[in-house]
Amino acid sequence: MPRTEVLEKVPIDDSYFLFRSCVSSSKYPGIETSTEEVFARLGIELEDSPEQSCCGGFITFTSLAEVTASLPAVARNLSIIEESGKNALTMCNGCHMFLTEFGHFMDHNPDITNKVNEMLGMLGREYKGSSHVLHMLEAVAGLKERIKEQITNPLKGLRVATHYGCHYLYGFKHDAVDDPYMPTVLEELIDIAGAENVTYPEARTCCGSGLTQIIIHKEEMSLPFLKRKLDSLKKIEADALIVVCPYCMTILDRGQFKMEERGIEEYGVPVLYINQLLGLAMGIDPVKLGLEAHITPVKRLLEKLEASNA
Amino acid sequence: MSRLFDKELRPELYSDLSELTFRFIGDLEKCMQCGKCVGNCPAASVTQYNSRRIIHSIKMGNVEDVIKSEELWSCFFCSSCYASCPKDINFPFTVAMLRYASLYAGYGWEYVKKLLPYALDYYRTGMTVLQDERNPNITRRRARNSDTSGSMADVREKMGLSRERKVSDRALSEVQFISDVSGMTRILKELPDKKEKAPLSRSELDRILLVTDRNGKFAGFPEEDDNA
Repeated sequence: MPRTEVLEKVPIDDSYFLFRSCVSSSKYPGIETSTEEVFARLGIELEDSPEQSCCGGFITFTSLAEVTASLPAVARNLSIIEESGKNALTMCNGCHMFLTEFGHFMDHNPDITNKVNEMLGMLGREYKGSSHVLHMLEAVAGLKERIKEQITNPLKGLRVATHYGCHYLYGFKHDAVDDPYMPTVLEELIDIAGAENVTYPEARTCCGSGLTQIIIHKEEMSLPFLKRKLDSLKKIEADALIVVCPYCMTILDRGQFKMEERGIEEYGVPVLYINQLLGLAMGIDPVKLGLEAHITPVKRLLEKLEASNA
Repeated sequence: MSRLFDKELRPELYSDLSELTFRFIGDLEKCMQCGKCVGNCPAASVTQYNSRRIIHSIKMGNVEDVIKSEELWSCFFCSSCYASCPKDINFPFTVAMLRYASLYAGYGWEYVKKLLPYALDYYRTGMTVLQDERNPNITRRRARNSDTSGSMADVREKMGLSRERKVSDRALSEVQFISDVSGMTRILKELPDKKEKAPLSRSELDRILLVTDRNGKFAGFPEEDDNA
């Protein structure tokens, strides 16, 4: 169940700074276009900036260089958000986690912030801590009623499962908008979109990426874990799996292809970002929603929708 | 009764441990060995990885064993242990910091080397994940799904977007500046030649590691040794 006390504090603004994610821009651009299309329907402006780079947090948590390298990189991006005078909207669990965690850390360690600002000063930038960073889940939870008004093509008969991703609900457990183990924000939105909620035993487990395990222990750990999740998903015959993180999307979408390629198993469950699902229910063109960029084909889902609307 | 849960005996229990161990224990001291973390752990479900055992090991002063272990590199960073912990221990954070300890001591470099291509992409373009596909079958499949050549540039164009997202020249030069002055660039240059070293002594480990104090609060970065 959404935590009302958190939900009440989510800033619902007329415009946000859209914080782009490397994975979505480079692998699933539909995550960004669907977000832009859906938010345009809700009457919310999104502004971005080419000055924004990769969030910068991965450096530390993949053990590539210490927090001293990540902090100024993250602070630089935060200063760009602050320059816009808006709150930021993130589409990726990773971007959200790193921006909020490092921001929180600097806010509570002024001496560190001063050192970071010394470096940023050389670039003509400064971190002030004046912008709030929203996760997509918070935004769509706060905009639920407005989303409801924009649904024109309810997704009748569509069986939809969810995957929330770890770094928001688990890693951010104290401030997250939903309960780590019994989240319902996505389920409510699926309801609003007119689709049917289905669940599977492994719904709350990691996608298998393990941040870096998909690279460092791919065969021993990542893929066996992913297979267990996909097997559990396959049994319930879902038409789509909904995610709120581009990295989870990559692993779950491409993981199915990997299993197929190796002759292990065929799954064929298309993975959609929440805004892509909402976009379909708002009658937005599937090409515009970037569904063709997905590796596990979305075609059958679209055909089913067409048939049920005929 | 277990000595571990007897407050009076604690100083004695830790007496022969270095300051380092104390710092890492920080939050871990609260652990009551309930094992909820293991029940939720993806790594534990596919290997022998066991967060409860690691915490116990650290509490008993065997930090070096943990730092040398392959287990340390098995964490998925999913934070489900943190989410389920009745004592609110942020174990993934401890793992992240222990991994640095491991690297300083000369272990684990083989794992980090595998991540080098992503870090180099970040340095070269300001983005960690790029459009190029390492597996040509992915492009072929996308060609079939999208009725294009299958390249991301063509797919983006069909969607009405620019053929590639690029960060500005200014952003790129700033990213590279931060990497250069923070020491990341040097690490990336040295990474390919890094070899597993002999283990450091505990006092050496102690010198290079300084992350959290006993209350789990940040205690500052390690001081640079001017004579090094």
